[in-house]
Amino acid sequence: MPLESLLDSELAFPVFECFHIAGFALAIGTVALADFRLLGFGLRKQTPSEITNNTWVVTLIGLLTAIFSGMLMYITDPDKYYLNWSFLIKVACLILAIVFHYTVHRKVVHSDTITGGGKVVAVLSMALWASVVFGGIFIAFIMPGL
Amino acid sequence: MLLSFTIWFQNIPLFIWLRDQVYGYPIALAAHLVFISLFAAMIVMTDLRMLGVAFRGQSLSDIIDQLRVPKRIGFILAATCGVLVFGLKSEEYYYNFSFRIKVALFILVGLHALVFRGPIYNRAAELDNQPLSGKIKVAAVISMLLWTGIIIAGRGIGYIPAPLFSHHFE
Repeated sequence: MPLESLLDSELAFPVFECFHIAGFALAIGTVALADFRLLGFGLRKQTPSEITNNTWVVTLIGLLTAIFSGMLMYITDPDKYYLNWSFLIKVACLILAIVFHYTVHRKVVHSDTITGGGKVVAVLSMALWASVVFGGIFIAFIMPGL
Repeated sequence: MLLSFTIWFQNIPLFIWLRDQVYGYPIALAAHLVFISLFAAMIVMTDLRMLGVAFRGQSLSDIIDQLRVPKRIGFILAATCGVLVFGLKSEEYYYNFSFRIKVALFILVGLHALVFRGPIYNRAAELDNQPLSGKIKVAAVISMLLWTGIIIAGRGIGYIPAPLFSHHFE
């Protein structure tokens, strides 16, 4: 099906949204399993790296699903998004969250030593991902022109 | 009766107050989605362990038992935010077909628990030394299908226009 007729369909946007929600839920939730472990909750019999060794594929699939469906949502109406400050903040938080996840967060998780610094990283990680969700929801609710 | 309940419910002072807040709805909705994320990933990772796909180096009971309480907390948080979203316009939700499907799916989740809690979730440790049975895998697949359906039905709610007569707000 050509992309244009797909985007014209009334069902397209809600379907993209469902993939988007399922994707980011898997990504954020699996990262949170490691975050909670760093904070001493959840899968305490496993080390943080044992958790991510078993969740990173789900995290990656969820992230790619969310990004791809998000891009499809964007191109249904680019004008609605590119000047929307909530969208811009969301994308900035998303890039930060991804970079943080695959650098600092990854290093802390694989060190398998629970430190105060690790707890700060866990809280930062969850705050960053949550802010991406909040930024995404607010796209549709901020006053136009702000 | 259900309809008059929803009209009474949306006029509880908390929800009247929340409707007056400019960002009440999006904040409740975003928090709902964040908690859904925490909850859904715990469900899916448990299901993947039950299917023998993930956490194969960890015992079944390690994953099921350690995530039971966190899953409940996640569900309660998501449901609390869900009630806030519902309370903002429960009368509209009464007529909403997608919301009705979502409620029906929750009833099926309850049935899933009735059927599988006893033989699987309550005795995970006993199942550790056996190969994963077909029953365990069926429970995992049904769980993932039900929760996926709940996400889709939940998103669908926003796409069904409210009937014009359903605005008995105070």
